[in-house]
Amino acid sequence: MNKKVFYPISIVVNILLVIAIVVLLKNAGHKMKFEYVDTERISQESMRTSFEKGCYGQAVLASYPVRGGAEIAKEYEEYYRLGEYTELKFFKEVYAKEGNADMLTSCDKRLSELREEMPDYATLFDKIDQSTDKAIRE
Amino acid sequence: MKCYSCGGEVGLTDKVCPYCGRDLTETASYRADEEKYQQRSEKTKKKAGGIIKENLSMVISAGIMIVLVIGVIIASYVNENAYFFKKDAIRKESVKNYDECSAKMKEYLNAGDYTGFAAYKEAHNIDELNAPYDDLELLWSITEQYVKMVHVVESSVIYASDADRYKPEDNVDDCQSAIDFFYREFEMNLSDIDEDPYKEYIYGMRNQADVILEVYLGLDENGRKEYFEGSDVTQRAYLEGVLIDE
Repeated sequence: MNKKVFYPISIVVNILLVIAIVVLLKNAGHKMKFEYVDTERISQESMRTSFEKGCYGQAVLASYPVRGGAEIAKEYEEYYRLGEYTELKFFKEVYAKEGNADMLTSCDKRLSELREEMPDYATLFDKIDQSTDKAIRE
Repeated sequence: MKCYSCGGEVGLTDKVCPYCGRDLTETASYRADEEKYQQRSEKTKKKAGGIIKENLSMVISAGIMIVLVIGVIIASYVNENAYFFKKDAIRKESVKNYDECSAKMKEYLNAGDYTGFAAYKEAHNIDELNAPYDDLELLWSITEQYVKMVHVVESSVIYASDADRYKPEDNVDDCQSAIDFFYREFEMNLSDIDEDPYKEYIYGMRNQADVILEVYLGLDENGRKEYFEGSDVTQRAYLEGVLIDE
């Protein structure tokens, strides 16, 4: 009787434990692969939401580590790049005011590259440009 | 037990007396006992074998379960600490590649790309509190405040005209405190900054912060003077005017 009850249960428990191990190791591998940028899915979700709501500046905080060479998840790469675009667009005006010609050129080059790399986002790039231009107070 | 022939001490299983050589197995009762015990022993062996056979699958399953439970504990530990393992590995890598990392950071700093420098430092988990990067400590404490200020200003001013902004008044609070923290951090460390090997970058950061306030918050030199000399209330009123009312 005991065997009849416990054996199937132990098989089910073992299967669940194997699934748990696979899931845990997969998550661990994912975390190790994409390091801190990708550890908090919420920041990526908030980045996506920020763009959808038109709050482009908010997305920069989550996306800016990509500028330092942080590894990023492919599925969110476009959002990181949009964040990078927003940050560079913001700083372009700052470099122009500072008279930092090298960075101004470098910004322009990267902004063009990003537009070429993501032609599907042309409208969004235009909106970011308009928002940044509108934000200038001087 | 004693030999019933010579009286010498013999073992229970001895078949011959070691002293007189008398055969000790010849009695009928001994033989009967031996057979009985042998039968019992066979029976017990069969019973034990049956029990083992019957429960072998259960025992194997339980053994696998124990191994799997240990596996889950180890996998949970690795999963929980994966972030720290990775961070630590990146930190060690940055120490190993000190020359390369230092050169790259200098490149960002020389270009005036302070947020790029911060992003690089964070992405490579460069530890400013320990050698060989401990000379970055002051630069980094100022940079942290600078980056926070930049991001708060970005969040507050770059949005679409039809944006669904969540509590713009929070932007005012955040901006006021981020600006205050950065400039206060700078002023508080002024004497140390002048002794710091990276002072030119810290001053560069401060100048860039001034430009950001001018370009995006309309605070030119006179405006900044007036803003910083003003009270919390006047500062807040100014930022409300720029970030909400317009």
